[in-house]
Amino acid sequence: MTAQGIRRGGRSRWFWAGLMFASFGVIAALRITDAIGETTGFILMACAMLLIVPLTRAGLAHQRTTGHLSPAVARYTRRFMIASLGYMLGLGIAITLSERMELSGVGAFAIALLPVLPIFAMIWTMARYLIEEDDEFLRHRATMASLAGLGLVLAAGSFWGFLETFGVVPHVDAWWTFPAWAIGMGIAQCWMSWRDRAGTES
Amino acid sequence: MKNRLKVLRAERNWSQQDLAQRLEVSRQSVNAIETGRYDPSLPLAFRIAALFDMPIEAIFAPD
Repeated sequence: MTAQGIRRGGRSRWFWAGLMFASFGVIAALRITDAIGETTGFILMACAMLLIVPLTRAGLAHQRTTGHLSPAVARYTRRFMIASLGYMLGLGIAITLSERMELSGVGAFAIALLPVLPIFAMIWTMARYLIEEDDEFLRHRATMASLAGLGLVLAAGSFWGFLETFGVVPHVDAWWTFPAWAIGMGIAQCWMSWRDRAGTES
Repeated sequence: MKNRLKVLRAERNWSQQDLAQRLEVSRQSVNAIETGRYDPSLPLAFRIAALFDMPIEAIFAPD
């Protein structure tokens, strides 16, 4: 573990990220094997999602040590954390309701909005970051990462769409576009961070 | 674009962080400009030139 990865007086962001995803995995496994019920699973997932709070704090501390923490980054991180918590809550409620009720028409529309509104908040958060970031290099990095995410969505979506048309692959729900974009953006950010570290001088 | 930022910084015994604070940018910005991975905007180039009290063309030059 490097000094950069350690939050002063706390654990690294990798520890909290690992713990959060391990928790998701264990809870999902328990749910798939019917060891726990729907309600218990949702409550446990919501509790595991709270790990995003120490993860965010460790991430901010790391960004502070690497010189990436601007006021806009701090605001972005806090807004995104709140939106993520809202997403988990909305998704859990939407899934629970959809499994217990016959949804149609306006009701289905309203239930679909529960997880989608926090996603809109995430997109707004990213747009605000690009507007509020005063450091042009950090803004450039974020823009390039967003474009990399967009490229992944367009490439993977188009390819998958034709494969689906020709009956090669199963149908994938359209809500995957946002996670795919975020994954592409994350990969690009990791790559740029690695490149920055490789060229770092003091 | 080539630049003499690293030399000018070394002459003043400034770290990248020192220069970043004087320019009110992130240390990563200074690092990216110094290593030629990022060309600053005209306003930032003017700020750099003003800080070193030199014309822009004495700091930056085309490849």
